[in-house]
Amino acid sequence: MLTSEQAIVEFEGGKARPDRLSQLRHGHYLQHAGRMLEVYREGVGLTRQALHQAIYRILDEEPDCPTRRIEAFCKLLDDVSDFDSDPHGKAPALRRQVFRLAAPNHPLVSVRDRLFEHDVADVKQRIAEELGSTWDEIDRRLFSDVMEFHTLRTFHGYPDARALLSRYNVAQTQAALYRAVKLTVWAREDFRTILRQAKLARLLHRIYQEPASREYRIEFDGPASVLRETRRYGVAMAEFLPALLACRGWRLTALLQRNRGGWKSRLELSPRDGLQGHLSEPEEFDSGVEAAFARKWGSDRRNGWQLIREGEILHARQRVFVPDFTLQHEDGREVLLEIVGFWTPEYLREKENTLRLFSGQRILLALPETSALKSPALSIDTIRYKTALKIKDVLDRLG
Amino acid sequence: MHTTEQGAMLRFVEGTLVLDNVSRGDFAPAPAGWAWDGRVGAWRCDASGYSRVTQLFTERGIAFKDAVPQWQPIDWPYVSLPPLRPEQDRAVHAWLTPRRGVVVMPTGTGKTEVALAIMWETAVSTLIVAPVRDLMYQWHDRIRLGLGYDAGIIGDNTYNLRPVSVTTYDSACIHMEKLGALFGLLIFDECHHLPGPLRRDAARMSAAPMRLGLTATPERSDGLHMDLADLVGPTVYTLPLAHVRGRTLADYDVVRIPVHLSADEQSHYDSLSGEIRRYMHDKVKEDRDYSWNDLCSDAGKDPESRRVQKAFHAKTAIEDRAEEKLRVLEDLFRLHAGTRLIVFTGTNAMARDVSRRFLVPCLLNHCRKKERVEVLEGFRRGDYPVLVANQVLDEGVDIPAAKVAVVIGGKGSIRQAKQRLGRILRRQGDERAVLYEVVCAETREETRSRLRRKSDAYVRTSHRRV
Repeated sequence: MLTSEQAIVEFEGGKARPDRLSQLRHGHYLQHAGRMLEVYREGVGLTRQALHQAIYRILDEEPDCPTRRIEAFCKLLDDVSDFDSDPHGKAPALRRQVFRLAAPNHPLVSVRDRLFEHDVADVKQRIAEELGSTWDEIDRRLFSDVMEFHTLRTFHGYPDARALLSRYNVAQTQAALYRAVKLTVWAREDFRTILRQAKLARLLHRIYQEPASREYRIEFDGPASVLRETRRYGVAMAEFLPALLACRGWRLTALLQRNRGGWKSRLELSPRDGLQGHLSEPEEFDSGVEAAFARKWGSDRRNGWQLIREGEILHARQRVFVPDFTLQHEDGREVLLEIVGFWTPEYLREKENTLRLFSGQRILLALPETSALKSPALSIDTIRYKTALKIKDVLDRLG
Repeated sequence: MHTTEQGAMLRFVEGTLVLDNVSRGDFAPAPAGWAWDGRVGAWRCDASGYSRVTQLFTERGIAFKDAVPQWQPIDWPYVSLPPLRPEQDRAVHAWLTPRRGVVVMPTGTGKTEVALAIMWETAVSTLIVAPVRDLMYQWHDRIRLGLGYDAGIIGDNTYNLRPVSVTTYDSACIHMEKLGALFGLLIFDECHHLPGPLRRDAARMSAAPMRLGLTATPERSDGLHMDLADLVGPTVYTLPLAHVRGRTLADYDVVRIPVHLSADEQSHYDSLSGEIRRYMHDKVKEDRDYSWNDLCSDAGKDPESRRVQKAFHAKTAIEDRAEEKLRVLEDLFRLHAGTRLIVFTGTNAMARDVSRRFLVPCLLNHCRKKERVEVLEGFRRGDYPVLVANQVLDEGVDIPAAKVAVVIGGKGSIRQAKQRLGRILRRQGDERAVLYEVVCAETREETRSRLRRKSDAYVRTSHRRV
């Protein structure tokens, strides 16, 4: 991720626009990106400073390029590189030797005279001899532990120029989110992934079902957000973004602080913006049983019932549960269906407790008829299946 | 207040306090700072509200379970603290009554001893927050020497949590969500750093009932120092600089040495200045309010303004690393041969230039603890004649008995001037200290130098030009 010193966001009419390189307006950046990758691929052994200077030279003549953009590219390239950083502390040890040898000769004057007889060229020469090296070599190694002078060991890189530009665009959007005080996601699918990833990023949620649609509005922020507007959780929101980019059927609005004075702008984003995350799309189904059942059912109604994958979020405060399927009848009735793979009696009781939190919804639990275990007496409707869940068994229960 | 049968319970949750088992209506009207959090179904406030709310509950006789404090009494392994000077003793006693508040004392008057005396007195889990790593390590050493305790370190890529720990502002701000209930006493060293918009979370997200702020210069140019009263406590003691001048601290002279750019540097400098002037002149003709900030925001779109921006940075670099400065430095080294001397630079690059030219150690941000200790110890013992530093030594780092300092670049802020003077203001016999200021003549560095001298640290000093 970028630092906020490398972030570029434009604010205009209440909208926030993170810097974005588009094919239409920045087609020529593909060539720049190719050259940048080249610099790092061929740059093994060069210092970070030299590599960055080379990147600066590539973009120097580019009329449309703020310094922050150059800095951001340097950061993204460094992020996928390993540098030699003098891990054994040779440079500090060398400095210690050199400075201690030089101390009795202080001050090192440029031209010696009667009062001060140690001139700098002479002292350097003597120190080099003492250490069995040349002064040029010593001078080169003297500060090799300083960040700018670390040398490139390996460049893991990006597959191609397009991938670098794509990462750049995502990184700038993430950096814009560092200013975010609230993130609102409207979701139609992949509720589980969205909520799980947000929880991993330690965000808190509020969930609302949009009237007359299968869409949910989920607002994310952090514990202290209820006390004041704070950008403290902006980094967590930025960390969450790549997971969201991999999902289907969402759009988001983030409320960004424009400055410390409290002006705010909205950042809006949806899959139509074409940002390519580096994570893969979440699996549609957790198990083969679910996938087979959904395939057999198809998209048509059966006895008036339609099958919707992850159609509903059951929630109470910060506890959430997304059943595998929602069955929706033409007349408005809804039944939830959760397919369990492996289970133990404890697992089932736990599940029952979870479901009891979210009262008012009818739910069917499908259990495999595998082990010799007897399922405990549950207050939930259960259906047994052998290798595959049968449509007829489900329809019978739905009535 | 009515509570459910489980009874009210106060918990620390990620930098906040959560009041469980008290319904929304039963805590209304809530005291200032509390809000109903529908996301978790409980009342919530900043962890720093802990003292106030427990006091309130006790006053009103409200029963509640207090699950917040995880701090503990500390037994100091052995105590070897020096006797306090009268003004230090007054500072300690002024703080001990409210057990929260800021002590204002000039650099070099022993703020650390005041803090150690307070730690000994309170004997509770304590977190010390310092501005930079060097100071964090310095606190670690002082606690070990004074109280015999090997404190934990949080920061500098280390996370070693102990009942008494040292950390930096940046780490404290990040980690306070986890640390907020573990310490009964917070000590903010150079506490004028605390009121920054994000950094203040270091105070706000902690439940510590006792807080001590230490600073020589509480004022901030943004006015946010007013918030210290809320974050740490009121100013409980102030020792003005004039009181200690010539007693605890040495008297000092300020000597300003103008240097001239070399012919090459000057012609480059002038052409850059001309470029900037012409551009701004044209722009102001179009738009009377056109400012440098406008230029910076144009720089992304417009290669012309980007060139002007670059010209500006090039000018700064010429001033900072003017060759003549190294020659002046050589003269000063000759003049003060045999005396320990500190050189302050404006950038790391210049610090390394000086270090490379004279083969003297420099303390920069990249220096690890071992090297820092070696360099500072070597300088203390007199093994090294000169110490070069950039920002690292700006505040509070103990430099023993340096009588001569040279400033060859730096920002024009009042705080920096005071801190830098504090470095050399250590009394040693009747010897006066000297601060040399090497600035490029006829450049913006002169303006900055004038700005520095506005600080009251410079009042009544004798000036001479060489």
